[in-house]
Amino acid sequence: MIQFKALLLKELKEAFRDKRALMVALSMGFLMPVVIVAMSKFMIKQAVETPAIYVKFTGAEYAPKMVKQLKDANILAFADVPESDKKLWDKRSVEVIIPETFAQDLQEGKRIDVILRADYSEKSLAAPLRRIEREVRNYSRSIGYKRLLVRGIDIKILNPVQLQEQDTSQPSSNAMIISLMLGLYLLMGAFVSGQSIAVDASAGERERNVLEMLLCQPVKTQNIVLAKLISSALIATLSISIMLSLTTIAVGFVDLSKIGASFSLDFPTVGALMISLVPLCFLAAALQLFVGFQAKTFKEAQSTVAMLVMVPTMIPLALMFIESKPDWIEWVPVSGQSLIMEDLFKGLPIEWATLATTTLLTFVAVTGLVMAMAKRLQSEKVIQSLS
Amino acid sequence: MTTPWKCLAVVALASLSGLTKASEDKLTLEDCHLDGISQQVECGKLQVPENYQYPTGDQLTINFAVLPAIDRNQNKEPIMFLAGGPGQAAVSLAGGLYQAFNEVRKTRDIILVDQRGTGKSHPLQCEDDLELDPYTYMPEAYTAANVKSCIDKLEGDLSQFNSENAIRDFDAVRAALGHEKIAIYGGSYGTRAGLVYMRLFPESLSAVVLDSVGPIEVPIGLFGKSSERSFNMLIENCQQDTSCQQAYPNLRQQFNQLIAQLEKQPVTIDIAHPTLGSKTEFLVSRAKFLSTIFTMLYGMETRSLVPLVIDQAAKGNFSPLAGVIASAGMGEMYVGLTLNIVCNEDIPKVTPSMFTEDANNSFNGNLSHFAWNTACPVWPQYRPSEDFYQPVTTDVATLIISGDLDPVTPPSNGEYSNKTLPNSKHIIMKDSSHTPGVSACAIKMIAEFLDKKNPNDLDESCLADIPKESFMLGLNGGA
Repeated sequence: MIQFKALLLKELKEAFRDKRALMVALSMGFLMPVVIVAMSKFMIKQAVETPAIYVKFTGAEYAPKMVKQLKDANILAFADVPESDKKLWDKRSVEVIIPETFAQDLQEGKRIDVILRADYSEKSLAAPLRRIEREVRNYSRSIGYKRLLVRGIDIKILNPVQLQEQDTSQPSSNAMIISLMLGLYLLMGAFVSGQSIAVDASAGERERNVLEMLLCQPVKTQNIVLAKLISSALIATLSISIMLSLTTIAVGFVDLSKIGASFSLDFPTVGALMISLVPLCFLAAALQLFVGFQAKTFKEAQSTVAMLVMVPTMIPLALMFIESKPDWIEWVPVSGQSLIMEDLFKGLPIEWATLATTTLLTFVAVTGLVMAMAKRLQSEKVIQSLS
Repeated sequence: MTTPWKCLAVVALASLSGLTKASEDKLTLEDCHLDGISQQVECGKLQVPENYQYPTGDQLTINFAVLPAIDRNQNKEPIMFLAGGPGQAAVSLAGGLYQAFNEVRKTRDIILVDQRGTGKSHPLQCEDDLELDPYTYMPEAYTAANVKSCIDKLEGDLSQFNSENAIRDFDAVRAALGHEKIAIYGGSYGTRAGLVYMRLFPESLSAVVLDSVGPIEVPIGLFGKSSERSFNMLIENCQQDTSCQQAYPNLRQQFNQLIAQLEKQPVTIDIAHPTLGSKTEFLVSRAKFLSTIFTMLYGMETRSLVPLVIDQAAKGNFSPLAGVIASAGMGEMYVGLTLNIVCNEDIPKVTPSMFTEDANNSFNGNLSHFAWNTACPVWPQYRPSEDFYQPVTTDVATLIISGDLDPVTPPSNGEYSNKTLPNSKHIIMKDSSHTPGVSACAIKMIAEFLDKKNPNDLDESCLADIPKESFMLGLNGGA
């Protein structure tokens, strides 16, 4: 036990000695909350705001009420464009052409063709054009309804079927955009943060001949591996705890209520999140060490480990596309944790049995990897990377 | 002078806390869905005594709903919505309020309680009224016999279905939900309820919004003068708008002639049933025409059709009128409760000279008194205490809103309450009619007011952007 303590101390000292490398390792924890806030602010703006659209009207004077309704929806005449945006909107050149006969055709109940002309392949115009189209349709429809009403028709009969949507998600569930991002970043954090430490402790130490020296000592290889594993996993755990707590604070700066959503993590949720994520930190560290010992050079280890990051990013994505999920997906490491986090963000009660199963399976995998590594380290071939 | 008041307050608090304890096991709250809201909300029921003097006597079940705040973490006190009528069921309005109160709902729960006698809180409904065919029915045919047959079907001790008990229920819901203080929004009769709330439980309220006020001092039921004013303003607004003036140059004369004609002889025409499409008779009497125009004065959307409806009717085309009647849907009104409260709390305070004076108007004469004069003499009686009629002087921050064109609760009503309340501000919204407090502009001010609790420090800039009253200029609309 004293042996093991000394080993762990050594590993932690190594990890904490290089402050700059450590900061890089923890950078995900500090950066991701900022990214989440910036991204969600941007997305909310996109979803909620109706920025001014400047339209080159022809014949606006023939349809003052329609033009007024467009104006109320922030669709304005090109003449009102501020100097700074003039060039942009002149180039975009969105035209609305209203025929001279508008008023008369309206009175006579004839169809009126209003022309909307623009470059429809221009991506930045997609939303503005949709808004113009919607407003004109609303204007047209409201007149249509009134025409029927004053002809003695109950306008309720225009909507024979009204779909009443009943959403069964919990009112307390968290904002989708943030949950999705945070869930993904937490998984990535668990895999990425300890990466440099793990590679350094395995392939790095071998190249520096530290490993050789360590193995010459009268200690069990198993303890050496365990000490490395714990030190690397601790860094990853630290990183995701920072990420979680900073996100909880940072989200307060986003006005989610604009999109009818909120985000809050109470103590039990954070607890459950940590319970499901810490085993992953260990799994990640074990995988990285394994790859690190397996590789012939430090370089090779680095490139291979970088590929491991694909695991936490691809699995949740793949899960989204699986329509009917087989049961085992709930238990398998990474996918199991991913699903549990999804439920937690939705405010659903925690399924302890599933959580326990996936945690257990994750640790079984970790133990397997540790034993394999301990065995391999007994071989001189591996240490000299001669195999 | 202060000591007895303090004693009273202590007694009130003590009885209140007693209530809280007792109500814990009488409260049920569960997730549910309400029409027009896809998100889950909370629906609840609370057992209350029918008569608060006998807490262990007959019990009523009060139905209520809580529309949860989008962000509940800010722990701001909720707002309770007091519905109009009297006789509107608050929970049935949830869908519309969910949208309209979005700005407030961002951080505050909205509590909707079906007032006793409405909705699912022991409803007092005159079923007969619902089965009437609006096209062939003559409002003039409403008699005391109809009223009596309704009374016979009502269950419960009607004297307990009064405004004060309704407020006791509301406050019991507040306490049962565990809120020390709440804000309230009252619209139309809901303002009367709100004023009673302010008098009975001032310590439960953090802020009050009164939208289209029915002050205690002004009996509900005299709508002659106020609807005349609202109608006159409509005609004036049309005359001032060039295109409306051109389309309807003789609106006033047309209206007067038509009313005179209908008074002499109601018109019967064959129309296609607005909803069914089959052939049906459409009977237009003076009362039907005037009461339809009267209800159209309540909202800006329907007001925009008034000149057209009058003009077409004067030319013998009653289809627009039929369409308006068909599309009217102000939400279900629990007429039994309407009559029970108005006939006992308001009409007894109206003197014959007040009736005469109110009937002296150029719009609908004494038509708005007809229902009361028919129903109230036969309605079972109770009388509120004299306290009930004292002006409310509670020192809770109060925002008073009136629509300038309102046909039933004109801005002068708001002035009454503004004078007696020590911490209030009265905002009159131009080119707005009844309960303009649910408009986007007002909701923004209300949300600000609920946060600041200072009615004199609000951003009122949006008031200037309210569009001028406008009208439909022809059967196909106008450009």
